[in-house]
This record gives sequence, C-alpha cells and structure tokens, in this order.
Amino acid sequence: MVLNSLDKMIQLQKNTANIRNICVLAHVDHGKTTLADCLISSNGIISSRLAGKLRYMDSREDEQIRGITMKSSAISLHYATGNEEYLINLIDSPGHVDFSSEVSTAVRICDGCIIVVDAVEGVCPQINALTGTLFTSKVLEERAERETESQVNPNSEQGEQVYDWSTGLEDTDDSHLYFSPEQGNVVFTSAIDGWGFGIEHFARIYSQKIGIKKEVLMKTLWGDYYINMKAKKIMKGDQAKGKKPLFVQLILENIWSLYDAVLKKDKDKIDKIVTSLGLKIGAREARHSDPKVQINAICSQWLPISHAVLAMVCQKLPSPLDITAERVERLMCTGSQTFDSFPPETQALKAAFMKCGSEDTAPVIIFVSKMFAVDAKALPQNKPRPLTQEEIAQRRERARQRHAEKLAAAQGQAPLEPTQDGSAIETCPKGEEPRGDEQQVESMTPKPVLQEENNQESFIAFARVFSGVARRGKKIFVLGPKYSPLEFLRRVPLGFSAPPDGLPQVPHMAYCALENLYLLMGRELEYLEEVPPGNVLGIGGLQDFVLKSATLCSLPSCPPFIPLNFEATPIVRVAVEPKHPSEMPQLVKGMKLLNQADPCVQILIQETGEHVLVTAGEVHLQRCLDDLKERFAKIHISVSEPIIPFRETITKPPKVDMVNEEIGKQQKVAVIHQMKEDQSKIPEGIQVDSDGLITITTPNKLATLSVRAMPLPEEVTQILEENSDLIRSMEQLTSSLNEGENTHMIHQKTQEKIWEFKGKLEQHLTGRRWRNIVDQIWSFGPRKCGPNILVNKSEDFQNSVWTGPADKASKEASRYRDLGNSIVSGFQLATLSGPMCEEPLMGVCFVLEKWDLSKFEEQGASDLAKEGQEENETCSGGNENQELQDGCSEAFEKRTSQKGESPLTDCYGPFSGQLIATMKEACRYALQVKPQRLMAAMYTCDIMATGDVLGRVYAVLSKREGRVLQEEMKEGTDMFIIKAVLPVAESFGFADEIRKRTSGLASPQLVFSHWEIIPSDPFWVPTTEEEYLHFGEKADSENQARKYMNAVRKRKGLYVEEKIVEHAEKQRTLSKNK
Amino acid sequence: MSIFTPTNQIRLTNVAVVRMKRAGKRFEIACYKNKVVGWRSGVEKDLDEVLQTHSVFVNVSKGQVAKKEDLISAFGTDDQTEICKQILTKGEVQVSDKERHTQLEQMFRDIATIVADKCVNPETKRPYTVILIERAMKDIHYSVKTNKSTKQQALEVIKQLKEKMKIERAHMRLRFILPVNEGKKLKEKLKPLIKVCLIDPGCFREIDELIKKETKGKGSLEVLNLKDVEEGDEKFE
Repeated sequence: MVLNSLDKMIQLQKNTANIRNICVLAHVDHGKTTLADCLISSNGIISSRLAGKLRYMDSREDEQIRGITMKSSAISLHYATGNEEYLINLIDSPGHVDFSSEVSTAVRICDGCIIVVDAVEGVCPQINALTGTLFTSKVLEERAERETESQVNPNSEQGEQVYDWSTGLEDTDDSHLYFSPEQGNVVFTSAIDGWGFGIEHFARIYSQKIGIKKEVLMKTLWGDYYINMKAKKIMKGDQAKGKKPLFVQLILENIWSLYDAVLKKDKDKIDKIVTSLGLKIGAREARHSDPKVQINAICSQWLPISHAVLAMVCQKLPSPLDITAERVERLMCTGSQTFDSFPPETQALKAAFMKCGSEDTAPVIIFVSKMFAVDAKALPQNKPRPLTQEEIAQRRERARQRHAEKLAAAQGQAPLEPTQDGSAIETCPKGEEPRGDEQQVESMTPKPVLQEENNQESFIAFARVFSGVARRGKKIFVLGPKYSPLEFLRRVPLGFSAPPDGLPQVPHMAYCALENLYLLMGRELEYLEEVPPGNVLGIGGLQDFVLKSATLCSLPSCPPFIPLNFEATPIVRVAVEPKHPSEMPQLVKGMKLLNQADPCVQILIQETGEHVLVTAGEVHLQRCLDDLKERFAKIHISVSEPIIPFRETITKPPKVDMVNEEIGKQQKVAVIHQMKEDQSKIPEGIQVDSDGLITITTPNKLATLSVRAMPLPEEVTQILEENSDLIRSMEQLTSSLNEGENTHMIHQKTQEKIWEFKGKLEQHLTGRRWRNIVDQIWSFGPRKCGPNILVNKSEDFQNSVWTGPADKASKEASRYRDLGNSIVSGFQLATLSGPMCEEPLMGVCFVLEKWDLSKFEEQGASDLAKEGQEENETCSGGNENQELQDGCSEAFEKRTSQKGESPLTDCYGPFSGQLIATMKEACRYALQVKPQRLMAAMYTCDIMATGDVLGRVYAVLSKREGRVLQEEMKEGTDMFIIKAVLPVAESFGFADEIRKRTSGLASPQLVFSHWEIIPSDPFWVPTTEEEYLHFGEKADSENQARKYMNAVRKRKGLYVEEKIVEHAEKQRTLSKNK
Repeated sequence: MSIFTPTNQIRLTNVAVVRMKRAGKRFEIACYKNKVVGWRSGVEKDLDEVLQTHSVFVNVSKGQVAKKEDLISAFGTDDQTEICKQILTKGEVQVSDKERHTQLEQMFRDIATIVADKCVNPETKRPYTVILIERAMKDIHYSVKTNKSTKQQALEVIKQLKEKMKIERAHMRLRFILPVNEGKKLKEKLKPLIKVCLIDPGCFREIDELIKKETKGKGSLEVLNLKDVEEGDEKFE
C-alpha cells in the first residue's frame, strides 16, 4: 500500500459510517505500540521491516529510551477491504499503571478498543483495571484481540497457555459481551513476526480442505474439540490419548512447523512451505542469516497482521453513528445527576449526539480530553518559517481588528496580510471576531510574550467531534468541567441573540474561535480546514481557554462531559525547587504549563511556600520532572520530600506508664539520675505551682501575669477547626467596630451562626473546670482564628470575643485595650510556635488567671506627677513587638537613642513589648509543665487488594506506623477494601512500596483526614524499674514522637538533644597519612 | 634532633584538653574529643564517656599529673573525680571539629529559618522555603559568625540576598489612631514610609517615634498583622 495523501484522508473523514475510533489497551509491555507499529506500516508510513522496532507512536525521547509508552497519541489510518474504504483513528495508549489517566483520555474519545493480552503472561492486573475503566465509561463495544507476541519458540506449553487466557477475562466481565474466538472477536497475532489470524481465516481454509462446513469449524476450532480424520467428524472431548485439540492440530501445528523449519534452517522444507502457501519470498530475505527476518517475510505474506486486525476492527466495532443512547447519557451526566434533570434544551442535544450529523444545522459538539504540548516547530504552519513571525502577524491582525472595530467598519474591511500565506491569517477570523473574545484579549496578551520567550511549546487539544462539523475560525463555547447549563440558562434570558456581545459572565464558560485544526498522525500534524463528525482531531490555540479538558459546543446549553475518572489518583508528592533561587518565576511558569499538559498531575503551592508536585507514581513523576526540566521550565530543579507539618498540644497526665503499670504505685527506684528535668528547664523568677499555674513578671517588675494551660476536649478542637472562617469574620467585625465604622451592620445570618457556634462550644465545654469559660474567651490563635483559646478569668474582664470591644470612652478602658492587645499578641505568638519544635499549637486553652498591673499604674501615676511626657512614652507604645526589637539593627540604634533622650524609661524597651514577650514566655512555660504531645497529620488510606496479597499490604502498613481501621470484602469479587490511617510523615514512597510488594495488585489512595495525637511522650525516659527493664537505659529505639520532633528541630536549626558522637572511644582520630 | 619514626613519636589521639587556672596553678584534664560540649549541655550523662582518665594533670601532653597538695590548695579536696567535674564545667575547652561543625550548621539553618520566616517573594506574597534560602545563602557564600546572634545575621543575609533574588521582608499591617487635626500633617510626613499601611518592619521604629513626637502622645498605632503573607494552600487550576 502506498502512503495515503492528505486529500484522501479528508475525503474519508466525511464518510462517518466508515470511521472507526479505536484505541489499543493492554498491560504494560504486552506490545501495544508494537501492534500499532504493524498497523501503521500497512499504510506505508513506516517500513514494514522496521515495524515493531521503531515504535513510531513513542515520539518522546524518554519513551524510546525506557521502552514504555507514556502518553496516548493518535494516528489516522486508511484501510480498504473490497469496495469499502475505512478510516481508522488509532490511539495508542500507555500500559503502565502510572499513566492510567492517559488511558482514560484515550478511552473517552474512542468507540471501541483492541485489548492485547500476552500469551505467556496472560491476563494481568492492569487489564482488569482497564476493563473496569471501560465499563464505567460505557465504551461497551470493545472487542478483544489477543496477541501472542512471544510465540517464537513453539512448544506444547504454548497450546495449554492458549486455553488459560479466556477464563480470566470472562470472569471479570459479566455482561453479555464475552471475548471468545468462536464469536470471531479474537485475533491471534504476533506483532513482532508480523502475523495474525482470526478463527474465521482458518475456518475458511479448512472448510475447503477437509470438507466440513465453515460454520461448524467456526464453533469448534476453539475449545475442547477433536477431529476424527477417518470419520471426518468433529467430536467433543478427548477421544484418544495424546490427541491434540482442533485448534492446536489445525492451526498451531502449521505455525510451529514453519517456525521449526526456519529456525533449523531447513532450506527444503521452507521452500516447500512457501510454495505450498503460494507465497513469493524475496531473494534478500531468503538468504538472510537471521531466521527472524525469514519468518517475518513469510508470515507477513501468509497471514498479514494488519489485515487480520483491521478487518476485524471494521467488521466488529461500531462506527460513530452507532453510538448508544446509554453512552450518550453517561457522557453528559455528571455523577449522581440524572439525564432527566437537564433542561429541555440540553435533552434535545441527545438527538444530535445520536445522529452525529454533518449538516450545517447540526450543533457542533467537541470533547477535548486532554491538552498536549508539541514543539512549535512541529506545527505544520510553522515549518516553513519561524513562529515569531506568525505571532507578529497575528498580533498585527488583532490590533488591526481592534482598529477596525473602532471605526465601526463593516465585515471584511480588515485587509488581508498580503505577504502571508493563508494559514496564518485565517487563524483569526477577520472582522467578525466577537466582542466576547475581546474580553479575553486582556488575558491573552501576556501569552504571546511568554511564547516569544520560549517559543518551543504549543498546546494542542486532543479532541473528538461528536456532532456537527468543526470548521476553522468557527466561534464556539468552551465549557469547563464545572460548567452547568442550568447556571447559564438562569443568567441568560431565553432566546438570546447568537453573538454573545453583552453576555454576562458565566462561570467556567468562555467563547472563542477554533484557530487551527489538525489531523493527528502520530508525531506529525497535518493541517485541516474542517473536520466532520466522528473524527479525532487536534485543535490549536485553545491553551488560554482550556486547562485540561473541556467540552466545546456551539450551543451553551450543552452540559460538560463528565470529568475523567482516573484509575490512579495522584498520590506521590514531592517538593520542587529551582537550583538557583533566582529562577523561581521560570519554575512557576513551567509548572503552570505542565499542569495544563498533563491530565493527571496536580500542583500545589503550600502555605510554607513550597511548590508541591503530585503525580500518580514514580514513573509518572520522573516524566513530569523531565518535562519540567527540558520543555517547560528549562532550568535545573531539585526535588525533595515535602515538608511535613506537625502540631503541638498537651494532654491530661497519663494514668499508666509505658509498661502499663499504674503510675504512683511504682516506686521510682535506682534510676533517679534519669528523672525528668522539667523543673530545671524553667528559669528562676517564675513561680510554678503544683497545678501548672505559671506566674511571671515583666523584666521591669511592673506587671505580673498568671497563666495556666489546659487541653481542650477533642470535639471543641474540631468545632474550632471547622469554624475558622466564622472566627475570622468575627475578628474582622470587631476590628471594623474598633475603627468606629458602625456602617458594617452585622449580617443576620452571620450573627445566627456565631450564636450557634457559641452554643456548640458551651455544649461541649461542661464540667467544673470549664464553667463560664465560653463567655470569657478573649481570643483565638494562632492568626486569630486557630484552634486554641485564650481565656481571661480576671474580674474586670469585659472584652470577650462575643461582646465586641468595650466602650472606649473611658480612658481606663482604652489603656486596658492597648495592654490587652499586647497580651493577645503574646498569645498569638505563643500559639504560632510551640516549645517542642516551633510548630503551631492545637487544642490548647490558655487561661489568664490574674494580671496584676497595679504597680504599672502606680508608676504611671507617679510619673505623670513628675513629668507629663513620661506616661505617653510608656503607654502609647501601642503594639510593639518583642521580636522586632531584638530583630533589626536599626531598631537597636533607635532604642539607644531613645534611652538617651529619656532616661526614665526602663532599659527593657517599651512596656507593651515587654508584655508581649512575657505573655509568650508564660504560655510556653505553662505548656512545658504539662505533658506535651506532638500531633501528626494523618492520611486515610483506601487500599484495594486481592486476598492473596493482603498479608503484604499489612506488612507495609505496619512498617510505616499505619493502622488498619476496617477491612471488608467487595461483594462478588475477590477484592478486599482496607481502610487505614497513615501518618503523612511516613507516606513518602508508600504508594511505590505497596505496589512493588504486592506486584501491583494493591493500589492505595491517600487523602488527608485529620490530626492525631502521637501517644508517646517525646521527652519520655524510663523512670521506674519496670520501664528500665523493658526499654533499657536509653530507650530511644521506639519513641516515634521524639524521632519526628528531632527531625523537625534539625531541619529548623534548633538545638537537638543528640550526642554528636555516640561512643567516645570509637572515634577515628588520626588522618589517613599518619 | 630526634628522628620521627613511628616508634618514637607518641601522639595524643582522640584527646581534647580542658584547662583551668586556679590558685595560680594550671590544671588540665584529658577528655575525649567531641564530648565536652555534650556534657556541658547535659546530653551526655556518663562521665566515663567524656573523661579519658579521672586523673588531673598539670600538663596532659607531657603526662604530668597534678600534685595532691596543689589540688587540695586549689579545690579544697583531693577527690579527682569531683575536681574533674568542676574543671569540665568551668574550664576552657577546645572545641573539636565536629562540635564546631554542628554548631555552625545549626546556626546556618537557624539563620535560614529566620530569613524564610520573615521574608516573602514580593511577586506572589508567599514565603520561600528554608531549603531554598539555604541554597541561596550558599550561593552568596555567606559565612556564619559564631559570636553574633542568628537574628542579627539573618537581617544581614536578607540585605545580601536582595541583590541576588526577589526577596523582601514581609510587610506589617498597621493601623494609625490619630487625632483629627494632626492627621493631615502627619500623613505628609509618613508618606515616604508607608505603602498603604503595609510597611517594611525595619521602618516600624521610625514611624512609631514620628507619631509620638508629632501628636505629642495623643496618636498611637496598632499592629494588625506582623506578616502580610498569603495564607492557605493554592492549587493550580
């Protein structure tokens, strides 16, 4: 066959009934791409000699190096049988589990698929997963074709293997569609040797030879049937010992004998076979020393693979016209939404789907399943000249349009660019570009600049036309995955005029023109003017409108197609940073591009400033990083484990010790030298009573604070977490009231919510210790909205969060406000970084029992008598911050100068600053006298695993401190669903490990769920004799909390209680040459 | 002149000497390297892991042991172990290589943590990570000084980093409370310092003072937010 011209393809595209959209699916390394190669070679795009070796569809460099496919890519093939000519849009998909998302993108735009199963390995887990995907996305019409790629050395085992295949798969699909050779939907192939056949092929041959009806042979060639040559009868069941079933005897034996002859270089026999088959083998192949070449040469003539496969595809798979109603509804409905719930306009579109019409009246519906980046040089319009020129032309065009619109000129006034050829100009429809697009211009303008900087990448949408004809320059609605037609209909009055000039902004909707249309030919792109329905195509120029997937429709009433359901959700998290800090902008830009180009990647910027890349697996991660380095960002990057957050809290004192003995009963014997040194940690000048009340005085001895820390009940912490937004709005409210802006009336709803919130807190904070405490809440922290509470129990307190600020008319109140603010700031600072490892606190209640400012007031009064200035100096300091004071050097100078000016100010800086620092210290010490605990972020982890790998799943979980919550069997399958929790700190590499240990039979999913207290005390040392016996003197082996704490402290450069050298004697002290 | 051969040279290996002068005499003890700092901070509790021998020397390298009467006159006891403990806690220490290394590393990280905590990327208003700051500090070849506080050094680092990358101190959010008649006058004076009430924390003192002076104590200012930083995680869409 010859290379088909573009015109031919365009002509074929118009015959919708003869289009087949198929994809190739299989387990990793079962030979999808090799099969695709063979099919491509039949069209003369690549040499048939190279088929199977070239891997034409693997256009990426790393795909070629690694030998696995990493993306789905399409190619259009021509196939003629008899009078019928078919266009086959073949999509090759990756098999590796990490790229399941790519498979889903391929499946979404196909009508059927070829499932490749390796004869030796049989049905593998990935196939089960894939069939699952197929059924959920309702591409029900798939047929299986099987490949026996490794059938190079024929042996008797091969025959047995052949039987095994069918069982595995049939179990999984319990629908009426089975893959069975006798139904004619199975092809036996060897892509590497270039042969393939269906049962039908041989049935036809043997019906002539033996004289048994073709129909009978079709039924009996596969299965437990045997032939009795004498009676010319086919019997069921083994008649005599050592007999071979029909399939082996009639088909496989022949192939084996051919292989046998060629491998043994039995020249005569080869000649005999060749002549008996009526083939002509070229002299070059016949003389070739490598038997593989000879086999290939013979087989590809005898049983050409492409014919066998493509014929079956054309015969068995549905054309786009045969789309089922069920699938249409499935595509259009999101999740639980039912088709009936759509407005009538939307329901009407179903008919268009089914019809798949190419008339001009038919609504255009295109589904973009992914965006992929191509080298801009590879675009057909860029081949003759560099991109920049085209960009300039485009921009000139755009500017001209704007100019033209200003002049309110009629259509077509904007003259064509005379120097350019058609392709560049028509990318922008002249004159009639709607104003809706003009709005987009603003967002688009930075884009050309970006493209000039790295004019290498251009995004092409991988799409399929479901209805109507996609024409270049056609204006179309771009509907994001979250778009709702109901929303649109609500906002826009019915029967709006077609050009959406004054269209109100509808979320997730844009309006743009189809700039470029391409025919996807593997790594090549061919330029198209229009694409009739049912075809797979590439669309250029959508990168500003489409993020990952979208639905394009000429009517806004179209619902977006359901978001892709991924087999693998991204779970492997890494932090990415540029090698050179100054290259940060490039990295961010690159990550944005990557996010668009990869359907399955997630990119987060965390509060810590980290850029976190979440990928489906290690291989996927590697590909993303390569892409980032070489295509999108073009900088050196470094990859590390993401920072793991912790929280600090306190608990009630434990009742039992580490060996489950009741505390107090045990005598603390012998090991007194290991007593906890909590008491010694607290410096002098601070009083601690036995109840954990800390009394501390400011450095200038003017104010005394008494603070106690108490653990909040778990439910309260949870309520606080949930209502952080509410607390924040409360805070904003008070601050606006502070400014005297009473115009902000409290919204009724908010007020109600606040009372409800307060009621909930009261409900949970019961008991003697918490009496009246809700009314005395002064602030939340950190950042004024966190899960910690500051309570003021002093008598004259009237400034709780509920009532708003006290009347500030009196001078007394205003002073208290200033000082109170300092105390709250001190509390905020204390809750922001706890004493253990400077992580935020959680679930702690600080109670300010007393604050004695009498001395301060006295002095203030006496100072006032002495010198009026003085009071202002000390009092009006506002909210100065301790950190600032010892922070900046400028501040240092200022302070000294200030001291010089007014020697009466004490040497400790402004009073408010002292108060902040004192409060912070007080909170810290109050925490330290209580049993402190670390809280770890936890993932909930759902694992699907088969029964035989359960043990290994448990092993991996327990190794990583995970805890299994429940385990249940999925009805009707042998899959178990395990629910477990796992600390985030242990999750790095978890997915990979579990996959490796279970050979891919278990797949975890991780979702952040909650914070959990790590039960062990990070400062614990054995104190009783039993503990001493049980854990030994050091007891550092099992303390998970201490391990985490030290890791964080080390990372932050805090002091870590670790010996630099463990064993003094064992140091190597001499340098090598002494 | 003696010839250096392996047999006639005795090396003091794995020894860190702690010296103390008392009563006009010098006393030394022989300790293991990298252990004395650990003992002082209380991490190491086993004395035998710190001391090579419990005897007190006049000169460790010469092997001269201190005389009993000297010990009694200086320390009032001849319990060698007690004296060793005293010398360990109060004497001059040689800081060993690993101890110095860990101290420097710790300070380096501390500085980086402070810088990362105080600064943001002015474009995104998001902080840089500590690792990135550490790398940037290495790029500008910043060397840690042990005799300066980490906070001071952090401020120096910020200045130096500004030349290399886009980094800025996170702004403070302030509120001014001023008497009406003074307000206008002050506004003019504050203008060069303020950016819509977000200021560089370095200017805080200046503003504070200005306000005090100009309003004669009637105005005050309030810190609303120490760091004006983007909060929460952001997902690329």
